[in-house]
Amino acid sequence: MDLKLDHRTEDRLTIVEVEGEIDVYTAPRLRELLIDLVNKGNFHLLVNMEKVDFLDSTGLGVLVGGLKRVRAHDGSLELVCTQERILKIFRITGLTKVFGIYASVDEAKEAHGRDK
Amino acid sequence: MTDATDVTGDLAGIRDAVSVRLPAASAYLSVLRTATAGLAARLDFTLDEIEDLRIAVDEACAMLLRQAVPGTDLTAEFELTGQEMSIRVEVSTVGIAEPKRDDFAWMVLTALADDVDAVSDSPDHMAIVLRKRRGAARPA
Repeated sequence: MDLKLDHRTEDRLTIVEVEGEIDVYTAPRLRELLIDLVNKGNFHLLVNMEKVDFLDSTGLGVLVGGLKRVRAHDGSLELVCTQERILKIFRITGLTKVFGIYASVDEAKEAHGRDK
Repeated sequence: MTDATDVTGDLAGIRDAVSVRLPAASAYLSVLRTATAGLAARLDFTLDEIEDLRIAVDEACAMLLRQAVPGTDLTAEFELTGQEMSIRVEVSTVGIAEPKRDDFAWMVLTALADDVDAVSDSPDHMAIVLRKRRGAARPA
């Protein structure tokens, strides 16, 4: 399973759909997309991880890198993830405290709307 | 879950050793993860334990690949006993290389495996050995 990436912008929130495996081989593509989005002025990102089958520390590093970039522009990078096996990696590394993690895109959009 | 006693009964006393050799390139890591999951299933590891092993092997290899000489191979030696899987992954390096122990990869690897040893005493090889026991309760 390779990595499929897609994105769309709704209001001021850019939703990044990620499907497949994020590892040391595929993570650079996600990194490039996040960098590209930020360079084009998208500073509020929501990464939907619901279709991610595999995530390792390289993927975590890419997400943390993305978070640093958007924060430099007073932006946000939040996640949609309910899969226990993926959340476990965030917990091990303490990153559940760093990222806003939502159960659905709608829930995240609602929270984002409130924060505007 | 199927009858665990039957499976372990079949494997009791058997020494299963499997070697996998792949190019030391990240594109092949998914192949090694799949092999890891298949072998772990032979020992009737739970789905959570299989997932832990898949990630642990991936992390160990990702660490090694940073030090690997391009164009060489990565070898993975799996040893399956009744209750435990031991995996040694190894690459060729230039000089003595040490894994970084202060990054996410090491944190994840040591959290998911029961034992982890980095073997970096050889001037041109670096290996990581990890072990996981079936049914060993560990905090999430």
